Amino acid sequence: MSDILAELSTAVIEGNVDDMADLTEDALDEDFSAQDILDKGLMPGMDHVGVEFKAGNMFVPEVLRSARAMHNSMDLIRPLLAESGASMTGKMIIGTVKGDLHDIGKNLVGMMCEGAGFEVEDIGKNIEPEAFVEAVKKYEPNIIGMSALLTTTMRSMEHTIKALEEAGLRDKVKVIIGGAPVTQTFSDQIGADGYASNAASAAELAKSFVN
Amino acid sequence: MTTSNGLPIVVIACKVFQGLLEELMPEGMAEQITFLDYGLHSVPDKLNWTVQDAIDSIENPSLVMLAYGMCGNGLKDIKSGQHTLLIPRTDDCIAILLGSYKKYIAEFYATPGSYYLTKGWLESGSNPLVEYEELIEKYGEKSATWIMDQQYQNYERLVFVAHNAQDLEKYRPQAQEVAEYCKRWDFRYEEIRGSDIYIRRLIEVAMALDKKDDEFVVVPPGGKTTLDMFLR
Repeated sequence: MSDILAELSTAVIEGNVDDMADLTEDALDEDFSAQDILDKGLMPGMDHVGVEFKAGNMFVPEVLRSARAMHNSMDLIRPLLAESGASMTGKMIIGTVKGDLHDIGKNLVGMMCEGAGFEVEDIGKNIEPEAFVEAVKKYEPNIIGMSALLTTTMRSMEHTIKALEEAGLRDKVKVIIGGAPVTQTFSDQIGADGYASNAASAAELAKSFVN
Repeated sequence: MTTSNGLPIVVIACKVFQGLLEELMPEGMAEQITFLDYGLHSVPDKLNWTVQDAIDSIENPSLVMLAYGMCGNGLKDIKSGQHTLLIPRTDDCIAILLGSYKKYIAEFYATPGSYYLTKGWLESGSNPLVEYEELIEKYGEKSATWIMDQQYQNYERLVFVAHNAQDLEKYRPQAQEVAEYCKRWDFRYEEIRGSDIYIRRLIEVAMALDKKDDEFVVVPPGGKTTLDMFLR
Protein backbone atom coordinates (compact mmCIF):
# COMPACT_ATOMS: atom_id res chain seq x y z
CA MET A 1 0.00 0.00 0.00
CA SER A 2 1.15 3.54 -0.63
CA ASP A 3 2.72 5.40 2.25
CA ILE A 4 0.20 8.19 2.25
CA LEU A 5 -2.81 5.87 2.38
CA ALA A 6 -1.16 3.93 5.20
CA GLU A 7 -0.56 7.24 6.96
CA LEU A 8 -4.24 8.06 6.61
CA SER A 9 -5.17 4.70 8.13
CA THR A 10 -2.79 5.28 11.01
CA ALA A 11 -4.11 8.79 11.55
CA VAL A 12 -7.65 7.43 11.80
CA ILE A 13 -6.53 4.75 14.26
CA GLU A 14 -4.63 7.28 16.36
CA GLY A 15 -7.40 9.85 16.15
CA ASN A 16 -5.14 12.56 14.72
CA VAL A 17 -8.01 14.93 14.21
CA ASP A 18 -5.78 17.85 13.24
CA ASP A 19 -3.67 16.08 10.61
CA MET A 20 -6.47 14.65 8.51
CA ALA A 21 -7.04 17.60 6.22
CA ASP A 22 -3.34 17.87 5.29
CA LEU A 23 -2.96 14.13 4.79
CA THR A 24 -6.06 14.04 2.61
CA GLU A 25 -4.75 16.92 0.49
CA ASP A 26 -1.39 15.16 0.19
CA ALA A 27 -3.05 11.99 -1.01
CA LEU A 28 -5.07 13.92 -3.58
CA ASP A 29 -1.88 15.68 -4.73
CA GLU A 30 -0.33 12.25 -5.23
CA ASP A 31 -3.21 11.56 -7.58
CA PHE A 32 -5.06 9.10 -5.43
CA SER A 33 -8.76 9.24 -6.07
CA ALA A 34 -11.26 10.12 -3.39
CA GLN A 35 -12.46 6.53 -3.65
CA ASP A 36 -8.94 5.21 -2.96
CA ILE A 37 -8.58 7.49 0.03
CA LEU A 38 -11.84 6.18 1.38
CA ASP A 39 -11.44 2.48 0.55
CA LYS A 40 -7.73 2.04 1.18
CA GLY A 41 -7.03 4.72 3.78
CA LEU A 42 -9.99 5.63 5.96
CA MET A 43 -12.10 2.47 5.95
CA PRO A 44 -9.28 0.04 6.85
CA GLY A 45 -8.29 2.40 9.67
CA MET A 46 -11.81 2.43 11.07
CA ASP A 47 -12.10 -1.32 10.58
CA HIS A 48 -9.08 -1.74 12.84
CA VAL A 49 -10.61 0.62 15.42
CA GLY A 50 -13.78 -1.49 15.55
CA VAL A 51 -11.86 -4.67 16.22
CA GLU A 52 -9.66 -3.08 18.88
CA PHE A 53 -12.68 -1.54 20.61
CA LYS A 54 -14.45 -4.87 20.81
CA ALA A 55 -11.31 -6.45 22.24
CA GLY A 56 -11.10 -3.79 24.94
CA ASN A 57 -7.86 -2.31 23.62
CA MET A 58 -9.50 0.98 22.66
CA PHE A 59 -12.15 2.93 24.55
CA VAL A 60 -15.01 5.21 23.64
CA PRO A 61 -13.03 8.49 23.76
CA GLU A 62 -10.44 7.05 21.39
CA VAL A 63 -13.08 5.68 19.06
CA LEU A 64 -14.77 9.09 19.03
CA ARG A 65 -11.52 10.78 18.06
CA SER A 66 -10.96 8.23 15.31
CA ALA A 67 -14.46 8.85 14.01
CA ARG A 68 -13.91 12.57 14.05
CA ALA A 69 -10.61 12.15 12.22
CA MET A 70 -12.31 10.11 9.52
CA HIS A 71 -15.09 12.65 9.36
CA ASN A 72 -12.62 15.48 8.75
CA SER A 73 -11.21 13.65 5.77
CA MET A 74 -14.61 12.66 4.43
CA ASP A 75 -15.74 16.27 4.47
CA LEU A 76 -13.02 16.96 1.91
CA ILE A 77 -13.54 13.97 -0.33
CA ARG A 78 -17.34 13.85 -0.27
CA PRO A 79 -17.78 16.46 -3.02
CA LEU A 80 -15.18 14.65 -5.14
CA LEU A 81 -16.97 11.35 -4.72
CA ALA A 82 -20.19 12.99 -5.84
CA GLU A 83 -18.41 14.58 -8.82
CA SER A 84 -16.89 11.29 -9.92
CA GLY A 85 -20.49 10.17 -10.35
CA ALA A 86 -19.99 6.92 -8.50
CA SER A 87 -23.50 5.59 -8.22
CA MET A 88 -24.96 5.14 -4.77
CA THR A 89 -24.84 1.58 -3.47
CA GLY A 90 -28.29 1.85 -2.00
CA LYS A 91 -30.36 3.71 0.52
CA MET A 92 -30.56 3.00 4.22
CA ILE A 93 -32.14 4.44 7.31
CA ILE A 94 -30.52 4.12 10.70
CA GLY A 95 -31.76 4.82 14.19
CA THR A 96 -31.30 3.94 17.85
CA VAL A 97 -34.37 2.11 19.14
CA LYS A 98 -37.04 3.25 21.56
CA GLY A 99 -35.84 4.04 25.08
CA ASP A 100 -32.23 4.21 24.02
CA LEU A 101 -30.43 7.53 23.72
CA HIS A 102 -26.99 6.20 22.88
CA ASP A 103 -25.99 7.27 19.43
CA ILE A 104 -22.21 7.06 19.19
CA GLY A 105 -22.24 3.59 17.65
CA LYS A 106 -25.16 4.41 15.40
CA ASN A 107 -23.43 7.56 14.12
CA LEU A 108 -20.31 5.55 13.40
CA VAL A 109 -22.32 3.00 11.44
CA GLY A 110 -23.86 5.86 9.50
CA MET A 111 -20.46 7.21 8.57
CA MET A 112 -19.11 3.80 7.55
CA CYS A 113 -22.16 3.03 5.45
CA GLU A 114 -21.89 6.41 3.81
CA GLY A 115 -18.29 5.53 3.10
CA ALA A 116 -19.48 2.28 1.56
CA GLY A 117 -21.58 4.31 -0.85
CA PHE A 118 -24.96 4.30 0.82
CA GLU A 119 -27.30 7.23 0.98
CA VAL A 120 -27.84 7.22 4.73
CA GLU A 121 -30.85 8.77 6.41
CA ASP A 122 -30.22 9.01 10.14
CA ILE A 123 -33.61 9.23 11.84
CA GLY A 124 -32.09 9.72 15.28
CA LYS A 125 -32.38 8.10 18.69
CA ASN A 126 -35.19 6.83 20.93
CA ILE A 127 -37.10 5.84 17.80
CA GLU A 128 -40.47 4.15 18.29
CA PRO A 129 -41.27 1.12 16.11
CA GLU A 130 -44.01 3.15 14.40
CA ALA A 131 -41.50 5.89 13.55
CA PHE A 132 -39.27 3.32 11.84
CA VAL A 133 -42.30 2.18 9.86
CA GLU A 134 -43.10 5.75 8.84
CA ALA A 135 -39.48 6.31 7.80
CA VAL A 136 -39.55 3.19 5.63
CA LYS A 137 -42.66 4.52 3.90
CA LYS A 138 -41.09 7.93 3.43
CA TYR A 139 -37.58 7.02 2.29
CA GLU A 140 -38.15 3.58 0.76
CA PRO A 141 -34.73 2.32 1.84
CA ASN A 142 -33.10 -0.99 0.90
CA ILE A 143 -31.95 -1.46 4.48
CA ILE A 144 -32.87 -0.43 8.02
CA GLY A 145 -30.13 -0.39 10.64
CA MET A 146 -31.20 -0.51 14.29
CA SER A 147 -28.91 0.12 17.22
CA ALA A 148 -29.23 -0.45 20.99
CA LEU A 149 -26.66 -0.17 23.74
CA LEU A 150 -28.75 -1.65 26.52
CA THR A 151 -30.16 -5.11 27.12
CA THR A 152 -33.24 -3.25 28.32
CA THR A 153 -33.84 -1.60 24.96
CA MET A 154 -32.72 -4.26 22.51
CA ARG A 155 -36.14 -5.88 22.83
CA SER A 156 -37.52 -2.91 20.96
CA MET A 157 -35.77 -4.24 17.84
CA GLU A 158 -38.15 -7.16 17.84
CA HIS A 159 -41.11 -4.81 18.28
CA THR A 160 -39.93 -2.78 15.30
CA ILE A 161 -39.66 -5.88 13.12
CA LYS A 162 -43.20 -6.84 14.17
CA ALA A 163 -44.43 -3.35 13.34
CA LEU A 164 -42.85 -3.65 9.88
CA GLU A 165 -44.60 -6.98 9.38
CA GLU A 166 -47.93 -5.54 10.44
CA ALA A 167 -47.48 -2.65 8.04
CA GLY A 168 -46.78 -5.13 5.25
CA LEU A 169 -43.30 -3.71 4.74
CA ARG A 170 -41.08 -6.43 6.14
CA ASP A 171 -40.22 -7.97 2.77
CA LYS A 172 -39.45 -4.55 1.29
CA VAL A 173 -36.38 -3.96 3.45
CA LYS A 174 -33.46 -5.81 4.95
CA VAL A 175 -33.12 -5.29 8.69
CA ILE A 176 -29.68 -5.22 10.25
CA ILE A 177 -28.99 -4.74 13.93
CA GLY A 178 -26.08 -4.05 16.23
CA GLY A 179 -24.95 -2.65 19.58
CA ALA A 180 -23.14 -3.96 22.64
CA PRO A 181 -25.77 -6.46 23.90
CA VAL A 182 -26.82 -7.69 20.45
CA THR A 183 -25.63 -11.07 19.17
CA GLN A 184 -26.11 -13.19 16.08
CA THR A 185 -28.31 -15.54 18.09
CA PHE A 186 -30.56 -12.65 19.12
CA SER A 187 -30.66 -11.44 15.54
CA ASP A 188 -31.79 -14.88 14.35
CA GLN A 189 -34.36 -15.11 17.11
CA ILE A 190 -36.12 -11.86 16.30
CA GLY A 191 -35.98 -12.44 12.56
CA ALA A 192 -33.50 -9.72 11.58
CA ASP A 193 -31.60 -10.23 8.33
CA GLY A 194 -28.21 -9.68 9.84
CA TYR A 195 -26.06 -8.61 12.75
CA ALA A 196 -22.75 -6.77 12.76
CA SER A 197 -20.42 -6.49 15.72
CA ASN A 198 -18.79 -3.22 14.65
CA ALA A 199 -19.36 -0.30 12.32
CA ALA A 200 -17.02 -1.52 9.58
CA SER A 201 -18.65 -4.93 9.42
CA ALA A 202 -22.07 -3.24 9.44
CA ALA A 203 -21.06 -1.49 6.22
CA GLU A 204 -19.85 -4.79 4.74
CA LEU A 205 -23.07 -6.49 5.76
CA ALA A 206 -25.17 -3.70 4.27
CA LYS A 207 -23.26 -3.97 1.00
CA SER A 208 -23.79 -7.71 0.87
CA PHE A 209 -27.55 -7.10 0.70
CA VAL A 210 -27.52 -4.80 -2.29
CA ASN A 211 -24.81 -6.28 -4.48
CA MET B 1 -22.46 -22.87 55.94
CA THR B 2 -23.79 -24.69 52.91
CA THR B 3 -26.89 -24.54 50.75
CA SER B 4 -29.88 -26.67 51.60
CA ASN B 5 -28.54 -29.36 49.26
CA GLY B 6 -25.14 -29.40 50.91
CA LEU B 7 -23.03 -27.35 48.52
CA PRO B 8 -20.59 -24.81 49.91
CA ILE B 9 -21.42 -21.23 48.89
CA VAL B 10 -18.91 -19.12 46.99
CA VAL B 11 -19.65 -15.48 46.22
CA ILE B 12 -18.31 -13.64 43.19
CA ALA B 13 -19.51 -10.07 43.12
CA CYS B 14 -18.95 -6.73 41.50
CA LYS B 15 -17.34 -4.36 43.96
CA VAL B 16 -20.37 -2.10 43.64
CA PHE B 17 -22.19 -4.55 45.96
CA GLN B 18 -19.42 -4.95 48.51
CA GLY B 19 -20.99 -2.73 51.16
CA LEU B 20 -24.44 -4.30 50.86
CA LEU B 21 -23.16 -7.86 50.82
CA GLU B 22 -20.87 -7.41 53.78
CA GLU B 23 -23.70 -5.91 55.74
CA LEU B 24 -26.34 -8.47 54.80
CA MET B 25 -24.59 -11.83 54.41
CA PRO B 26 -24.85 -13.93 57.57
CA GLU B 27 -21.55 -14.63 59.28
CA GLY B 28 -19.85 -17.66 57.79
CA MET B 29 -22.34 -17.98 54.93
CA ALA B 30 -19.74 -18.11 52.19
CA GLU B 31 -16.72 -20.32 51.92
CA GLN B 32 -15.05 -17.69 49.82
CA ILE B 33 -15.91 -14.17 48.62
CA THR B 34 -14.30 -12.45 45.67
CA PHE B 35 -15.05 -8.85 44.73
CA LEU B 36 -14.12 -7.99 41.18
CA ASP B 37 -13.23 -4.57 39.84
CA TYR B 38 -16.03 -2.07 39.11
CA GLY B 39 -14.75 -1.04 35.74
CA LEU B 40 -14.92 -4.46 34.08
CA HIS B 41 -18.39 -3.82 32.68
CA SER B 42 -17.07 -1.24 30.23
CA VAL B 43 -15.34 -4.09 28.38
CA PRO B 44 -17.90 -6.92 28.54
CA ASP B 45 -15.47 -9.48 27.08
CA LYS B 46 -13.03 -8.77 29.88
CA LEU B 47 -15.77 -8.99 32.51
CA ASN B 48 -16.71 -12.31 30.94
CA TRP B 49 -13.35 -14.01 31.17
CA THR B 50 -12.59 -12.52 34.58
CA VAL B 51 -15.80 -14.00 36.00
CA GLN B 52 -15.18 -17.29 34.18
CA ASP B 53 -11.63 -17.49 35.59
CA ALA B 54 -12.95 -16.83 39.07
CA ILE B 55 -15.51 -19.65 38.69
CA ASP B 56 -13.02 -22.08 37.17
CA SER B 57 -10.58 -21.53 40.01
CA ILE B 58 -13.05 -22.79 42.65
CA GLU B 59 -11.81 -26.20 43.71
CA ASN B 60 -14.83 -28.07 45.02
CA PRO B 61 -18.30 -28.26 43.50
CA SER B 62 -20.10 -25.21 44.92
CA LEU B 63 -23.09 -22.98 44.67
CA VAL B 64 -21.63 -19.87 43.08
CA MET B 65 -23.64 -16.77 43.85
CA LEU B 66 -22.87 -14.17 41.20
CA ALA B 67 -23.83 -10.61 42.14
CA TYR B 68 -24.12 -9.42 38.56
CA GLY B 69 -26.73 -8.85 35.89
CA MET B 70 -26.31 -9.53 32.19
CA CYS B 71 -24.08 -6.41 32.15
CA GLY B 72 -23.89 -5.80 28.41
CA ASN B 73 -23.39 -9.53 27.74
CA GLY B 74 -20.52 -9.70 30.20
CA LEU B 75 -22.32 -12.62 31.86
CA LYS B 76 -23.28 -14.39 28.65
CA ASP B 77 -21.95 -17.89 27.94
CA ILE B 78 -20.54 -18.29 31.44
CA LYS B 79 -19.98 -21.99 31.95
CA SER B 80 -20.89 -23.50 35.27
CA GLY B 81 -18.43 -26.42 35.00
CA GLN B 82 -18.78 -28.52 38.13
CA HIS B 83 -20.67 -25.78 39.97
CA THR B 84 -24.21 -24.47 40.20
CA LEU B 85 -24.59 -20.78 39.37
CA LEU B 86 -27.12 -18.40 40.88
CA ILE B 87 -27.53 -14.98 39.25
CA PRO B 88 -30.08 -12.16 39.57
CA ARG B 89 -32.13 -12.05 36.39
CA THR B 90 -31.49 -8.43 35.51
CA ASP B 91 -29.93 -6.35 32.77
CA ASP B 92 -27.37 -4.73 35.05
CA CYS B 93 -26.69 -3.61 38.61
CA ILE B 94 -29.19 -0.77 38.64
CA ALA B 95 -32.21 -3.07 39.10
CA ILE B 96 -30.41 -4.81 41.96
CA LEU B 97 -29.60 -1.49 43.62
CA LEU B 98 -33.15 -0.21 43.20
CA GLY B 99 -34.56 -3.42 44.66
CA SER B 100 -36.38 -4.93 41.71
CA TYR B 101 -36.50 -5.25 37.98
CA LYS B 102 -39.95 -3.71 38.02
CA LYS B 103 -38.71 -0.60 39.79
CA TYR B 104 -35.82 -0.32 37.35
CA ILE B 105 -38.11 -0.56 34.32
CA ALA B 106 -40.45 2.06 35.79
CA GLU B 107 -37.52 4.44 36.32
CA PHE B 108 -36.06 3.58 32.96
CA TYR B 109 -39.08 4.37 30.86
CA ALA B 110 -40.00 7.43 32.94
CA THR B 111 -36.60 8.92 32.06
CA PRO B 112 -34.53 6.83 29.64
CA GLY B 113 -31.63 9.27 29.79
CA SER B 114 -30.70 8.62 33.39
CA TYR B 115 -27.15 8.36 34.64
CA TYR B 116 -26.90 6.54 37.97
CA LEU B 117 -24.44 7.28 40.73
CA THR B 118 -23.98 5.06 43.75
CA LYS B 119 -21.64 4.97 46.69
CA GLY B 120 -19.60 2.31 44.94
CA TRP B 121 -19.39 4.18 41.67
CA LEU B 122 -18.43 7.40 43.47
CA GLU B 123 -15.72 5.63 45.45
CA SER B 124 -14.29 4.07 42.32
CA GLY B 125 -14.18 7.44 40.61
CA SER B 126 -16.46 6.24 37.86
CA ASN B 127 -18.47 9.36 37.09
CA PRO B 128 -18.59 12.02 34.39
CA LEU B 129 -16.64 14.61 36.35
CA VAL B 130 -13.68 12.33 37.02
CA GLU B 131 -13.82 11.13 33.44
CA TYR B 132 -13.68 14.72 32.22
CA GLU B 133 -10.66 15.48 34.40
CA GLU B 134 -8.87 12.39 33.11
CA LEU B 135 -9.64 13.35 29.52
CA ILE B 136 -8.28 16.86 30.03
CA GLU B 137 -4.96 15.39 31.11
CA LYS B 138 -4.86 13.18 28.08
CA TYR B 139 -6.23 15.39 25.31
CA GLY B 140 -6.48 18.95 26.64
CA GLU B 141 -9.60 20.82 27.59
CA LYS B 142 -11.11 21.43 24.18
CA SER B 143 -10.99 17.81 23.04
CA ALA B 144 -12.03 16.59 26.47
CA THR B 145 -15.12 18.79 26.37
CA TRP B 146 -16.00 17.56 22.89
CA ILE B 147 -15.61 13.89 23.91
CA MET B 148 -17.74 14.42 27.01
CA ASP B 149 -20.45 16.18 25.01
CA GLN B 150 -20.57 13.31 22.53
CA GLN B 151 -21.08 10.82 25.31
CA TYR B 152 -23.43 12.61 27.66
CA GLN B 153 -25.41 15.23 25.78
CA ASN B 154 -28.39 12.91 25.37
CA TYR B 155 -28.84 12.20 29.08
CA GLU B 156 -31.17 14.36 31.10
CA ARG B 157 -30.97 13.18 34.68
CA LEU B 158 -28.32 12.34 37.25
CA VAL B 159 -29.65 10.00 39.91
CA PHE B 160 -27.84 9.31 43.14
CA VAL B 161 -29.00 5.99 44.58
CA ALA B 162 -28.25 5.76 48.31
CA HIS B 163 -29.23 2.88 50.56
CA ASN B 164 -29.35 4.68 53.86
CA ALA B 165 -29.31 8.13 55.41
CA GLN B 166 -25.62 7.92 56.33
CA ASP B 167 -24.55 7.15 52.78
CA LEU B 168 -26.80 9.87 51.49
CA GLU B 169 -25.27 12.46 53.81
CA LYS B 170 -21.73 11.26 53.31
CA TYR B 171 -21.74 11.07 49.52
CA ARG B 172 -24.17 13.87 48.73
CA PRO B 173 -21.48 16.58 48.41
CA GLN B 174 -19.59 14.42 45.92
CA ALA B 175 -22.76 13.60 43.99
CA GLN B 176 -23.71 17.27 43.92
CA GLU B 177 -20.29 18.19 42.61
CA VAL B 178 -20.86 15.80 39.72
CA ALA B 179 -24.37 17.25 39.31
CA GLU B 180 -22.93 20.74 39.09
CA TYR B 181 -20.65 19.69 36.24
CA CYS B 182 -23.49 17.86 34.47
CA LYS B 183 -25.50 21.08 34.34
CA ARG B 184 -23.65 21.79 31.11
CA TRP B 185 -26.08 19.30 29.53
CA ASP B 186 -29.03 20.52 31.62
CA PHE B 187 -29.10 17.37 33.73
CA ARG B 188 -31.45 17.54 36.65
CA TYR B 189 -30.25 15.99 39.90
CA GLU B 190 -32.34 13.53 41.89
CA GLU B 191 -31.80 11.31 44.88
CA ILE B 192 -33.46 7.92 45.15
CA ARG B 193 -33.44 5.65 48.15
CA GLY B 194 -32.07 2.30 47.06
CA SER B 195 -33.48 -0.95 48.31
CA ASP B 196 -31.66 -4.00 49.60
CA ILE B 197 -34.56 -6.35 48.85
CA TYR B 198 -33.03 -7.89 45.75
CA ILE B 199 -29.70 -8.56 47.47
CA ARG B 200 -31.48 -9.99 50.53
CA ARG B 201 -33.42 -12.31 48.25
CA LEU B 202 -30.23 -13.34 46.46
CA ILE B 203 -28.65 -14.31 49.75
CA GLU B 204 -31.78 -16.13 50.86
CA VAL B 205 -32.02 -18.10 47.60
CA ALA B 206 -28.30 -18.96 47.74
CA MET B 207 -28.91 -20.62 51.09
CA ALA B 208 -32.08 -22.37 49.94
CA LEU B 209 -32.34 -22.82 46.19
CA ASP B 210 -35.94 -24.06 46.44
CA LYS B 211 -36.88 -20.45 47.28
CA LYS B 212 -35.85 -19.39 43.79
CA ASP B 213 -38.42 -17.55 41.70
CA ASP B 214 -38.30 -15.95 38.25
CA GLU B 215 -36.18 -13.08 39.56
CA PHE B 216 -33.18 -15.42 39.42
CA VAL B 217 -31.30 -17.56 36.97
CA VAL B 218 -29.92 -20.91 38.10
CA VAL B 219 -27.46 -22.80 35.90
CA PRO B 220 -26.85 -26.43 36.88
CA PRO B 221 -23.43 -28.11 36.54
CA GLY B 222 -22.36 -28.55 32.93
CA GLY B 223 -24.54 -25.68 31.73
CA LYS B 224 -23.98 -22.11 30.65
CA THR B 225 -25.74 -18.77 30.78
CA THR B 226 -27.59 -17.50 27.73
CA LEU B 227 -29.12 -14.14 26.97
CA ASP B 228 -32.54 -15.80 26.81
CA MET B 229 -32.37 -16.71 30.46
CA PHE B 230 -32.20 -13.00 31.31
CA LEU B 231 -34.66 -11.50 28.85
CA ARG B 232 -38.14 -10.84 30.20
